[in-house]
Amino acid sequence: MSDTTLAATSTADLVADERARSAELARRADSRRNLLQNAGVMVPFVLVLVAGIAAVPNFASGSNVTNMLVNAAILAIVGYGMTLVIAVRGIDLSVGSAQALAACIAASVVNSAGPLVGAVVGIGVGAGLGLLNGVIATRLRVPGFIATLSTMSVFRGFVLLFTGGAPIMIASGGFKSVATASVLGIPLPFVIAVVIGVGAWFALDRMRFGKHVVAVGGSPEAAVDTGISVSRVILLSYLASGAAAGVGGVLLASQLGVVNGSVASGLELQAIAIVVLGGTSMAGGRPRIVGTFVAALLLSMINSGLNLLNVPSFYQYVALGALLVFALSIDGAQRAAVRRMLEGRLS
Amino acid sequence: MTTTVTTPAAGVPSAEQEARPGIGQVLRQFAGRQYLLGVLVVACVAVGFARPSFWGSGNLSNVLFQASFVGLAACGMTLLIAAGLLDLSVGGVIAVASIAVATVLPHTTIGTALLLALAIGAVLGLVNGLLVTYVKIAPFIATLGTLYLFLGAAFIWTSGKVVPITSSKYRSFTTGTVGLLPVPFLVFVVLAVGTYFVLQRTYFGRTLRAFGSNERAAVLAGLPVNRAKVLVFVVAGVCFALAGVFMAGRLSSAEGNMATGFEMDVIAAVVVGGTALRGGRGTAFGTVVGALLFAVLNNALNLLGVASYWQYVLTGAVLVAAIALGARRSSAAEVRGAG
Repeated sequence: MSDTTLAATSTADLVADERARSAELARRADSRRNLLQNAGVMVPFVLVLVAGIAAVPNFASGSNVTNMLVNAAILAIVGYGMTLVIAVRGIDLSVGSAQALAACIAASVVNSAGPLVGAVVGIGVGAGLGLLNGVIATRLRVPGFIATLSTMSVFRGFVLLFTGGAPIMIASGGFKSVATASVLGIPLPFVIAVVIGVGAWFALDRMRFGKHVVAVGGSPEAAVDTGISVSRVILLSYLASGAAAGVGGVLLASQLGVVNGSVASGLELQAIAIVVLGGTSMAGGRPRIVGTFVAALLLSMINSGLNLLNVPSFYQYVALGALLVFALSIDGAQRAAVRRMLEGRLS
Repeated sequence: MTTTVTTPAAGVPSAEQEARPGIGQVLRQFAGRQYLLGVLVVACVAVGFARPSFWGSGNLSNVLFQASFVGLAACGMTLLIAAGLLDLSVGGVIAVASIAVATVLPHTTIGTALLLALAIGAVLGLVNGLLVTYVKIAPFIATLGTLYLFLGAAFIWTSGKVVPITSSKYRSFTTGTVGLLPVPFLVFVVLAVGTYFVLQRTYFGRTLRAFGSNERAAVLAGLPVNRAKVLVFVVAGVCFALAGVFMAGRLSSAEGNMATGFEMDVIAAVVVGGTALRGGRGTAFGTVVGALLFAVLNNALNLLGVASYWQYVLTGAVLVAAIALGARRSSAAEVRGAG
């Protein structure tokens, strides 16, 4: 009699011990994940900032800071859309071509129908292209990366056909001043990027849509079982990514003043790099808008620093490729930490 | 034989009856599998009808050259895709390998230069393989990163300039013809046959297909998955370098962006040829047909005087259509996604 109670209590003790131990493991893995997620972007950011101010001439001058903020803003806006798509386990390789098409069409409409119509048409074109990606990925069931790899080529063909290979000059001074205007000393594109970023953060963190995105990215099968319309969420994500590329394209056209068919090539790599560097996991389900924003600033600082140091632009390719591989390695370590966390909770 | 099939009452074992389907069914099965060959023939006839100059020997050898550049690289890509992997760094590998050839050619023999190019392809493939296998980065994103790394390296090497190939022997070797067929096309056919044997008849090929269709099962079955993964990236790198060798000969020069966007054409040829993007299945013959088909289509656009930009649109649209059709036919709901 007493033997069995003793055995029972010791079993209960063992179970409790095991629980406490695995909870401890899970807690440790969770904190490691948080550390990786935050340190992955903050450490390089601080390093590059300090190195830039210390070693690069004119890095902190007013015009260069403005320039960096405008570039970072355009990159960050595209990055928000990419964050959303990656969070639902997709990817959008066509952002560069979509942005080029939006920029060129916007430029030509600005010349014929005025700045406001041009901007709206540019954003609309981006959204339309995103919708097309979404339809191919969800209705035709083509994997996202290969669907957008194809549309990357298709959109680039369209933009070259549209421009005929010639540059489009923007005549409207008002349209061009959007990129150079400033509000309280802060460049207007940067303000727009912050506003869109806050909106995206709100939608992902506080609205039902954001919960659906996390659910779909975490486990599409479970999301289907919960009654979430998975294909609708994925479709909307691609749509948002296209629209973001459209906004970026309009701002780019405004910044450059002259656009041609080959602008924004290679943008997809930069956008993916900042999203992953910002802590959004390639495994899906964990969007981090703030990280994307900080990483956009980081990449813009790196590019600007290399330019000011007169490093040939080829090295920027190498820097970008290395940055992406670094970010992906961090992402791999983070995923391992998450796995350990989940294993700790389950056992 | 037909009598035995049609008269099962004559004491023929039913097993044999099942093993020998009617001739119509066999034809239909073959047609169902090789419908692409029909598309190719129809395309050739239609283009030849619209522009008789299509059948000129100069134009035909042009088509074969184009098909073999894409096809050489596509042989490696077939192995990768059959293993459920992907390599977007084709353009980078081709650029680096052909720049290497162009740089060393004035100083060494053609054989040494070729070996160097293939070795460089192997090393770059090894980089991709290690990143995918041991750093555990999704293949398409790891190779997107290395595409820019390799392109950057190529631009740095040449300072953005074009490196000419002055050796006339090298040019005549890479662009010569045997009978009516260009040398690169013969190499392509040999490589495609080799790909078929590797994929269908060797332990390595079976390992590739096994982990292409279900990686976890292959690991649990004790197959050397990691080793095979690295090796297949190396093999693919060598194939890409080989394509670069012939492209450089054809262009008489090498430069950093000589093959930008080439990965699209290569993947399109493989996937349209019938290799499943989900992995587990590959067809070298389909890849040959796919490469020829795209070469004929692009040539047709040129002959018809369509702006060359349409080629971007066409390649992308055909690729999406092929995959969408494949997804519709194989009713498997789960498609290998980006993660």
